[in-house]
Amino acid sequence: MKRKMQILLNGIFRENPVLILVLGCCSALAISVTVLGSLGMGAAMTFVLVCSNMVIAALRKVIPDKIRIPCYIIVIATFVTLVEMIVKAYMQTLYDALGIFLPLIVVNCIVLGRAEMFASKNSVSDSLFDGLGMGIGYTLVLTCMALVRELFGAGSLLGHQIIPEEYTVRILAQTPGGFFMFGCLMALLVWGLARHGKKFKPEMGCGENGCSGCAMADKCPGNEQKEATGV
Amino acid sequence: MSGVISAIWVLCAIGAVCSLLLVVASKYMSVPVDEKFPAIRECLPGANCGACGYAGCDGYAKALAAGTEEKTNLCVPGADAAAAAIASVLGVEAQDVVEMRAYVRCNGDCEKSKHKYEYAGINNCFAANLLFQGEWACPNSCLGYGDCERICPSDAIHVYNGVARVDPVKCTGCGMCARQCPNHLIDLRRQVDPVIVRCSNTQNGATVRKACVNGCIGCKKCEKTCAHDAIHVVDNLARIDYDKCVGCGDCVGVCPVGVLQKL
Amino acid sequence: MTKLLSIMFVMIFTENYVLVQFLGICPFMGVSKKFDSSIGMSGAVIFVMTLASAATWLIYHYVMMPLHLEYLSTIIFILVIAALVQFVEIFLKRYAQGLYRALGVYLPLITTNCIVLAATLLNIDEGYTFLQSCVNGFSAGVGFALALILFCGVRKALENAKPPKSFEGLPITLVAAALTSLTFMGFTGMAERLFGG
Repeated sequence: MKRKMQILLNGIFRENPVLILVLGCCSALAISVTVLGSLGMGAAMTFVLVCSNMVIAALRKVIPDKIRIPCYIIVIATFVTLVEMIVKAYMQTLYDALGIFLPLIVVNCIVLGRAEMFASKNSVSDSLFDGLGMGIGYTLVLTCMALVRELFGAGSLLGHQIIPEEYTVRILAQTPGGFFMFGCLMALLVWGLARHGKKFKPEMGCGENGCSGCAMADKCPGNEQKEATGV
Repeated sequence: MSGVISAIWVLCAIGAVCSLLLVVASKYMSVPVDEKFPAIRECLPGANCGACGYAGCDGYAKALAAGTEEKTNLCVPGADAAAAAIASVLGVEAQDVVEMRAYVRCNGDCEKSKHKYEYAGINNCFAANLLFQGEWACPNSCLGYGDCERICPSDAIHVYNGVARVDPVKCTGCGMCARQCPNHLIDLRRQVDPVIVRCSNTQNGATVRKACVNGCIGCKKCEKTCAHDAIHVVDNLARIDYDKCVGCGDCVGVCPVGVLQKL
Repeated sequence: MTKLLSIMFVMIFTENYVLVQFLGICPFMGVSKKFDSSIGMSGAVIFVMTLASAATWLIYHYVMMPLHLEYLSTIIFILVIAALVQFVEIFLKRYAQGLYRALGVYLPLITTNCIVLAATLLNIDEGYTFLQSCVNGFSAGVGFALALILFCGVRKALENAKPPKSFEGLPITLVAAALTSLTFMGFTGMAERLFGG
């Protein structure tokens, strides 16, 4: 039980998918405009993560290694379609708020990355807690960003207008605001960790700097270049 | 129910078509891979420096595997180890690799050389050279912004006090720094040639002296001292003929400015 | 014709996939460090997006719609895209080595990327015709390429900058991205003015 709690807390704090592993930023930046959207997206993401992690962990000995990525994608896509249908049927406002990013959970680096990194190597129950932890961590970060962006960008919270629109910083609710908030949040994290004596350098979860969470690490051009120069 | 059946059918059909397409493609469009190529490529260090004359290690390995290249000793950074490994893969006798080392033909550090102007542009040798050949008074000087340092795969060349210096222990002789220097100050010498001229300036002695205290003034003392006719002053600059130089170091002792160096 | 031009303009500028719609951030941040990889990545993205738009549109309209299987679009599209990209890679490796060397290595990376799937799904949402879908895919790719190459230049300038200690690395890059996307906000409303909506 202690190990399961550790895995859960790992996903929320030590290996937070958005801030530490820096994966899945597309949806994080786009959805964190409203708190309701963040909570909804977080819930959908958690559902997909938990279910796909469990199924992939259950099938990990059966799936051949060469075609594992397409198999993972099929499993994840099934659950995403399920979530899509449920949200479209019962929560129309959330469906409109999430837009294209709901079906894009399929190709979200977090889901595929966790399937590759964790679920394919651990038991079903461990994967359940990992999925849960990652999902909760994701929701937390998104909600934090959304709290600031919605309150100061649109003046409302969960749909209720708190600050009159004339006094809002409109840019926060738009694209540049998203990038800026994310950068500031990350800088805040670096500063906070430095205060506690832990040096942390956030690096992209994909690209030439770090491949910590990417499922396609062995095919990445950045890695190939590193191997080529041999240095 | 029919909706479910048709969904399952369509998914299976699309999956089957895609996998069939890929299987057929991978069978009929496969690129024949020569087995020798990966084995030879493994022997090479992977610096992709181009010293062998081919476009990177892949190019050299391909040529060797295809048989268009016979020489196994072209890889300078790999040295004898690489040549021996390649020879064993190809089943031929190993050839000796001539070990090369880079050296910088400039000794003008910050204390000894003067500036023409104060440079505040991009910290890049190429950029600095575009502006009247750099900020140093000598037109053939090391610009000191480290283009060579950044490209070296062996961490062998660094800029100390405004001039680049090569560490002969780490240098593998790949020649990437030589190609990078905008003033063409870096040359390759054989490891067995220890005496070098640390200047590239062809202006007369008085002009050189005003620009840099460490520059060659063309006094010809080295030429007169050399017992092997290996060093001559051409165009106000001492030049060593490495075919004749035996590395005795007599010229080094008589040089009044200290531009000759024995490593 | 005007509609096509309007789609092109909107996709490249007003609703640029990276800087306005938040899609494809991962490769945008990761690959924009070096200019050569940016060019390679851009080529690969444009290539794949055009092909994927064409293929998925055909499958949607001739297989899925007659059988009322629109709800399976996510699964089928991603499968088709993955298979298509894999096929293109094999094809290029055999018949076009030059092109393979230039952009072949980036192809597997964009299979599981938001951009390609997003473009194909948006084609369906907007109800475009075949030609409009292909143009949409192509322009979205060009928009990505534009953003990537511009940001490459911005990052080069960032190398000489000295941000506060906590901001070093990724945070300041994100702030720079914020400013870059701010410039693209200037294109709002231009499409209506130029092409009449």
